[in-house]
Amino acid sequence: MESIEYIEDYFEKKLSIEQSSRFEQQLKEDAAFASEVAFYLSTKQMLKKEVDDDKKIRFREIYNNTKAGKIDQKPVINLWRYAAAAAVIAGIVWSVFTWVKPVSTEQLASSYIQDNLQTLAVTMSSREDSLQAALRLYNEAKYGESLNQFESIIQSDTSNFTAIEYAGISALQLKQYDKALHWFVLLENRTGLFSNPGKFYHALTLMKRNEAGDKDKSYQLLNEVVTNDLAGKEEAEKWLSKW
Amino acid sequence: MSITDIFLKSSDRSLIENLLQEGGERRRAEEELFKSYSYFIAEAIRKYSISEDEAFDAYSDAVLIALEKIRNHSFEGRSSIKTWLFQIFHNKCVDLLRKKTTNKYSVHQTHSISDMLFQLSDETKLVIDELAGKTDFDLLKRKLEELGENCKQMLLYWAEGINDKQIAVQMSYKTADVVKTSRLRCLEKLRHLYKQT
Repeated sequence: MESIEYIEDYFEKKLSIEQSSRFEQQLKEDAAFASEVAFYLSTKQMLKKEVDDDKKIRFREIYNNTKAGKIDQKPVINLWRYAAAAAVIAGIVWSVFTWVKPVSTEQLASSYIQDNLQTLAVTMSSREDSLQAALRLYNEAKYGESLNQFESIIQSDTSNFTAIEYAGISALQLKQYDKALHWFVLLENRTGLFSNPGKFYHALTLMKRNEAGDKDKSYQLLNEVVTNDLAGKEEAEKWLSKW
Repeated sequence: MSITDIFLKSSDRSLIENLLQEGGERRRAEEELFKSYSYFIAEAIRKYSISEDEAFDAYSDAVLIALEKIRNHSFEGRSSIKTWLFQIFHNKCVDLLRKKTTNKYSVHQTHSISDMLFQLSDETKLVIDELAGKTDFDLLKRKLEELGENCKQMLLYWAEGINDKQIAVQMSYKTADVVKTSRLRCLEKLRHLYKQT
């Protein structure tokens, strides 16, 4: 096992210059050692190929699904004399469909994020504290940096629920849904706040993520927001009427 | 202000952030990257007169290269992800055409370890490359299956470039040191199984 560690240290550039020279010298003189190095590299290459092949299978599924979606949309009849009539009918159907089609919950969430969460209020203050600095980063769309900053504020003050809320919103912008949910659930479970948007944001994140079961769960959460008169009630009522 | 800030849109920056995460976020980000520019495939079929499968393979390979470069921070963000990915994809397609026209196209990918040999001197490089060329990769793959799920998963994470600290989180190990010891043991076990045959 020591030799594998030694080989790994060489390829990860953890050896000193002298040690690296000795390593190379040993490679030239010791056939068994050279064989071990070749095995280490071959194994890593084989494993990497396994990982890549697995990803390619996932990519193939995505590609086939996207393609299938496109094929479904293609008209079956392409004779010109039917084309005009089909276009007219399609136009009417499209208009009716657009008119009556319910907006998806993901679209509702995206619009809300676009309209309400692009900038967060920075309070006027003579000194810029770390929360203000993080907010500025957020407003410059540097969501990764703002998230790090909000999280470091939370680390030093776990009761800073403004930072928790904004960490969740930053993670939501980054589409790091699991992390956003972590912060919003923490906020949601906090009692004694004058206004707590945790449950509303929890629902918003699930609507945006839109994985299996998310729609039902967000429906339930929005109903709780309305019933218990929580922050975000007005928006929740609007959304539920479009459900 | 860094170069990345100047050239990258916030959506590109978010995507990169997510690709550097672990678990579900990263998986979703990988799929998002693939999906976003998968229309390159149709363009390549028209432009280079290659088959759909060839275009898909070239595009998948380009995405895999992009993912690796983002993971190891060698993507400098001097252009948008789209422009950069297209350049990699274009090079893949040109490479494919060249191989086809010079009749050197091989259906099976070779297991090249050349990427990892750059540290070695030319003399030792040749020796190792030759030795590695003798590896029976099918046998090695079969032996990997005999290792057990835990060992296999740990080695796959390692090959993907996930560090021991992150593996510890993913696989609920106490520390990165414990992961390192276990991982080296798994490699040793694999070597033993392979040499036994």
